[in-house]
Amino acid sequence: MATGLGLESLVDQTISVITNDGRNIVVRHCVAYVANTGLETLYFADFLILFQGVLRGFDQATNLILDESHERVYSTKFAVDVKQDALEGVQQLVLGLYIIRGDNISVVGELDEDLDSNLDMSKLRAHPLKPVVH
Amino acid sequence: MAILNSEFPPSKDGRFSDNRLLSCRVRVLSSYEALIFIFLLSQLPLSLLKTAQGHPMLVELKNGETYNGHLVNCDTWMNIHLREVICTSKDGDRFWRMPECYIRGNTIKYLRVPDEVGGIKILANLGVTRHGYTCLVTHSMGLLGVIDKVQEETKSRGDRKPPGVGGRGRGRGGRDEGAAGRQAKGIGRGMEDAGAKGRGKGGPGAKSGGKGGGRGRG
Repeated sequence: MATGLGLESLVDQTISVITNDGRNIVVRHCVAYVANTGLETLYFADFLILFQGVLRGFDQATNLILDESHERVYSTKFAVDVKQDALEGVQQLVLGLYIIRGDNISVVGELDEDLDSNLDMSKLRAHPLKPVVH
Repeated sequence: MAILNSEFPPSKDGRFSDNRLLSCRVRVLSSYEALIFIFLLSQLPLSLLKTAQGHPMLVELKNGETYNGHLVNCDTWMNIHLREVICTSKDGDRFWRMPECYIRGNTIKYLRVPDEVGGIKILANLGVTRHGYTCLVTHSMGLLGVIDKVQEETKSRGDRKPPGVGGRGRGRGGRDEGAAGRQAKGIGRGMEDAGAKGRGKGGPGAKSGGKGGGRGRG
């Protein structure tokens, strides 16, 4: 598209998005980050919420349509820190159809679904991201 | 672009069910039609929002407040007018009910719309008229509009199977070989560029007018 954003090639693919408020909301996240967040990273912090979905459309303001989106809530704690069964590594929640306003979007990333499906969610941990500082 | 006689969205994977690649050039007659056509072509977020009129939705603002209500109207700045609203504070511990509210678009973080909004079927029928081709745009709510002077070029029509969207009346001109022959005239204005660049089926290269996705016609 004339925007030159290159988002066109991501249409109808699963993507992940990081938003400006690294926390509370729509953080969809690239797998690479999560994968690099090894088990060493032990913190009793909050949780990280990441969103993934299928990009259905976008415009010149980077507003996005995300279909079949879901969020992943990453715990930062080790399973040994709490009762073993009390904490899954990653909770996955279905959200549905979202329109995300471009103002809030920091990163849009392509998601490798093969790599993603091979992840062992129960072992993943991740830190919350800090919000973008303007 | 490839919308003629096809349902929209075409299928789960975003491809058109009849797998025909059509590229049509359109002189759009009014902004309303332009809006429809843009929606057909590229699923713009604001067009989707427009489609969601009358549906319930959740709006979260940048400050963390959420508003649940029915969308009355919206504009191109994403300003939205909601009815029957419940506002929730950032912490989710306080609630306010209000009959309606108006939200400035730039305060919005995201909107959650019902899944069925994305699935509203848009059907574009191509028909032959004296003027060339006319596109009738309908969806489940009825006729949406008419786009005049649709012209098309097709990619290797001969080896394509008829569309899978059986039961839908396809315009008489849909596969008319004469269609491509006419395309040289009456183009080059209005929404043509927007029309041709549509959903990037042809990959990132599809950029300028008349170079829409995937057509390979000589």
